Amino acid sequence: MTLNLCVLTPNRIVWDSEVKEIILSTNSGQIGVLPNHAPVATAVDIGILRIRLNDQWLTMALMGGFARIGNNEITVLVNDAEKGSDIDPQEAQQTLEIAEANLRKAEGKRQTIEANLALRRARTRVEAINVMS
Amino acid sequence: MSCSNLTMWVSSKPALSDTSSLSCRSFISPFQLPSQNSLPASPSRSSSVSPIHCGLRELRERIDSVKNTQKITEAMKLVAAAKVRRAQEAVVNGRPFSETLVEVLYNINEQLQVEDIDAPLTNVRPVKKVALVVITGDRGLCGGFNNSIIKKAERRISELKALGLEYTIISVGKKGNSYFLRRPYIPVDKFLEGTNLPTAKEAQAIADDVFSLFVSEEVDKVELLYTKFVSLVKSDPVIHTLLPLSPKGEICDINGVCVDAADDEFFRLTTKEGKLTVERDVVRTTTVDFTPVLQFEQDPVQILDALLPLYLNSQILRALQESLASELAARMSAMSNATDNAVELKKNLSRVYNRQRQAKITGEILEIVSGANALV
Repeated sequence: MTLNLCVLTPNRIVWDSEVKEIILSTNSGQIGVLPNHAPVATAVDIGILRIRLNDQWLTMALMGGFARIGNNEITVLVNDAEKGSDIDPQEAQQTLEIAEANLRKAEGKRQTIEANLALRRARTRVEAINVMS
Repeated sequence: MSCSNLTMWVSSKPALSDTSSLSCRSFISPFQLPSQNSLPASPSRSSSVSPIHCGLRELRERIDSVKNTQKITEAMKLVAAAKVRRAQEAVVNGRPFSETLVEVLYNINEQLQVEDIDAPLTNVRPVKKVALVVITGDRGLCGGFNNSIIKKAERRISELKALGLEYTIISVGKKGNSYFLRRPYIPVDKFLEGTNLPTAKEAQAIADDVFSLFVSEEVDKVELLYTKFVSLVKSDPVIHTLLPLSPKGEICDINGVCVDAADDEFFRLTTKEGKLTVERDVVRTTTVDFTPVLQFEQDPVQILDALLPLYLNSQILRALQESLASELAARMSAMSNATDNAVELKKNLSRVYNRQRQAKITGEILEIVSGANALV
């Protein structure tokens, strides 16, 4: 039994091939998916996706969206996705620092919400690199 | 006038064998030649172009400038063609996402229909105020592209006024921005600018704005006005209801007043390369084979909350992409017309130039011959 993973963003297909196992961060916590998983539809949070190819783990930063699992097909629809290996560590770290500073400066509800979102995105990207190394 | 016609007749004649018969008159022509140059041109050439009145040097300058313009328009045409290809690629790349999204949304809706869901983006309220998102281009020189979408917006505004509804505009693109800035009586909520290639980020910016307007109940309906790409030579300005999204994937009908545009489609899956298809039926058939038993990890409402913004974004992104593709296609055809015109103009100008040059030479020869005759 093979499990096929397909990660789609509005711009392109980020991933479309066979995997052994994935760990997905959903709105209600992380779930692991192995072949022959029961059909599930779930909202995907801003967080990292871990992919196992044979004995090798890969990470990917997902920016929130939706996933559907069934028939040994995983379809992940997200606003943006980046492979851990494609992220520039320095740039990600800088973005994180800027996001933290912005949150401290934020005034009013709307700004706080926006700053929080940006911070979570930045943190996810940094995490995606750190898990790798 | 008789002599002017004569000189013309001489110049157009290939051989100068009968100079003797003309020599008697030739003493008139040298004096009048410079001013005459332009006059005889009118009766003979007015059929093809409007008469061109100018001296040899001016003609040469005009030919040069037309040549330059032609080079520029040709280059612009090539650039637009290359960009159209890139824009098409972007749409093709984004297609798997939007197709899967529509498929999933449709699938989940079917399962959710039994349950009573209430997502903020699907709220249908009596319409008091409408937001119009008008997508224009950033640059000119693309034929009637910007004009036609702005005209469509104006028409929609007057329709809304006639229905007694309020409205506000969200303008995307420089051309639209400058148009609405010049008309302060049109209420504009926000001016946004597009960039070369629309990305998810820009769509997100528009979606955020539209979302907050709608959720805060400032507006009760959001309509998207953009240019639909039909083929390289055809594109239509269309109106498309963006919000409220219908959770069942149908065209939403508004209670009481119908503010829906006639050409309103909901699941819009238009493809490029001149082949336009609204693939609703195809989507339906592909969803059938999917497992009917689907567990929901979270509340259905939460899942819809995660899906609908994605759907909103992809709709806006698609509109931006189509608008860009139409703009580029419009520019391409405008520039190819301009190039054709430049070629034509250049041809006519060089013809006039050559005739004048020959007339001048003929005049000079006549002068010499008559001078020689006088000496004998």
